[in-house]
Amino acid sequence: MDYYFFIDLIQSLVDGLLFGTTYALIGIGFTLIFGVMRKLNLAYGAAALAGTYVGLAAAFVTPLPPILVFFVSALGSGIIGYIVYLGCFRYTPSSHPMAALLASVGMLLFIDELVIHLSHGMPYPYPSVLRNAEITLGEIWIRGDMLFVFGICVLAMVILYWLLYRTSLGLATRAVSQQPRAAQLCGIPTGQVNALTFVISGVLGGTAGAMTAAAVGVLSPIIAMSLTTKGLIVVVIGGLGSIPGAIIGGLMVGAAENVFQLLRGVTERDIYVMLLLFIFLTLRPGGLFGNTEGRD
Amino acid sequence: MMLKLEGMSKHFGGVKAVDDVSLTMNEGEIFGLIGPNGSGKSTTINLITGLYAPTSGTVSLEGRDLTALAQHERTALGVARTFQNIRLFGNLSVAENLWVAQNGHKQRRQHFISRWFKAGGLQDTNIDELLRFSRLHSKKDSLASALSFGEMRRLEMARALASNPKVLLLDEPAAGASIEDGQLLGERIRAVRDRGVSILLIEHMMELVMGITDRMAVLNFGRKIAEGTPSDIQSNPDVRAAYLGTKNKNKEPADA
Repeated sequence: MDYYFFIDLIQSLVDGLLFGTTYALIGIGFTLIFGVMRKLNLAYGAAALAGTYVGLAAAFVTPLPPILVFFVSALGSGIIGYIVYLGCFRYTPSSHPMAALLASVGMLLFIDELVIHLSHGMPYPYPSVLRNAEITLGEIWIRGDMLFVFGICVLAMVILYWLLYRTSLGLATRAVSQQPRAAQLCGIPTGQVNALTFVISGVLGGTAGAMTAAAVGVLSPIIAMSLTTKGLIVVVIGGLGSIPGAIIGGLMVGAAENVFQLLRGVTERDIYVMLLLFIFLTLRPGGLFGNTEGRD
Repeated sequence: MMLKLEGMSKHFGGVKAVDDVSLTMNEGEIFGLIGPNGSGKSTTINLITGLYAPTSGTVSLEGRDLTALAQHERTALGVARTFQNIRLFGNLSVAENLWVAQNGHKQRRQHFISRWFKAGGLQDTNIDELLRFSRLHSKKDSLASALSFGEMRRLEMARALASNPKVLLLDEPAAGASIEDGQLLGERIRAVRDRGVSILLIEHMMELVMGITDRMAVLNFGRKIAEGTPSDIQSNPDVRAAYLGTKNKNKEPADA
């Protein structure tokens, strides 16, 4: 292996790990919702993208600094997350788990069509920060905007952990995800916990969407597909229901994606990333951190 | 009276899981509910806690009709239960399990922000007292899933007590325990009663039920076939028939 290839490999890994935090956030969102509802919300990636557009739309109405655009994107995605909850999960019968799943597929397509219609299918420039800054470590250089993406995603995870482990909402959420029936008997308003979980997951998804768009500088409807598939691969690798699993899975997918891109080119890389999905589903279907422990 | 069931029935399609059962539990009483498998004991508990809506009949606590109330509202009024198959919050610590049970129904009355986003504050003298009472104080920071089977059972009971109930429904608390454990359990149940909690005990371990209950009732095929003190029940021919089988299948169960 020659020296420059080795440098390229390290560079790819570093970029991949930085960007992988956005995948980690999407994976965490899937995992949180699955944790409390024991149902997959396939509309999640599309809702995250739609939320990102809300931030952009706000910036069209009145000029906003990039940070506020990101913030409105995250908030918008939280609100859309709540709408998805009402539309697909709140009122679908729990005795038919397929109903909620199929409703969320319908919602995915609905949101996708709505975004394409409203944006005329055109990509729009999306703000980013520290675009021209960079840090050089020997032969490796780190883009300032990627470092910013990484920082925001890590901050979102820290806030999430604070919510989960330091507030009464977090305690209630963890109780509901473990034993919904006992939690209800203890008086926890499980409906409200579920709704708030969708909002929080939505905010995480909107943050991931905003950071994805900020990293490329462009927001386009095709990002929805990438958020959905990458998010699902992340939870398959990490284990559905495990937050540490989603973080590790996100970083792994980010790194693998960039290494495959270096080795095989940008058009081929996703083929290999998708193969990871099948390898994990066959050899380790529970993921790295999956627990086989059931609940009622 | 503490807890009263009047004409309680629950039919699942054509199956009469519970059929016209009336029970009256007095304050401070340990009341046993026994019967063969499938006789309707667990359905009765689920009717009292509100998981099932009855086909007909009413349930009341200290004269207050609970029939139309949701499960958590009954918890807030003083009905608590344990589960036969333990349902702890395994990924929460022992103290957190108790905190959730103690504050779950209080939280509902608080303003949205203070309900959900008030940070921390798991220190509570009631929880400390309950941990000592349940001999779990040394384990208070362990995950519930890491406890031994006996500790899990004690935590289940402590969690039920954390919501400060008037009536505690124990669903086969001795399941999986040896007879010696059963005797210890009997002492614990008495200790709970001495805290001022009335107890409805569903149990298969006859030594335990006969040893500690003040009165008891027997269910068979969803109907109450006998009620009385443990010695009344032991000498009741219908009860013997229900447990040991009877030659005369057409015999009508006697109402006690």
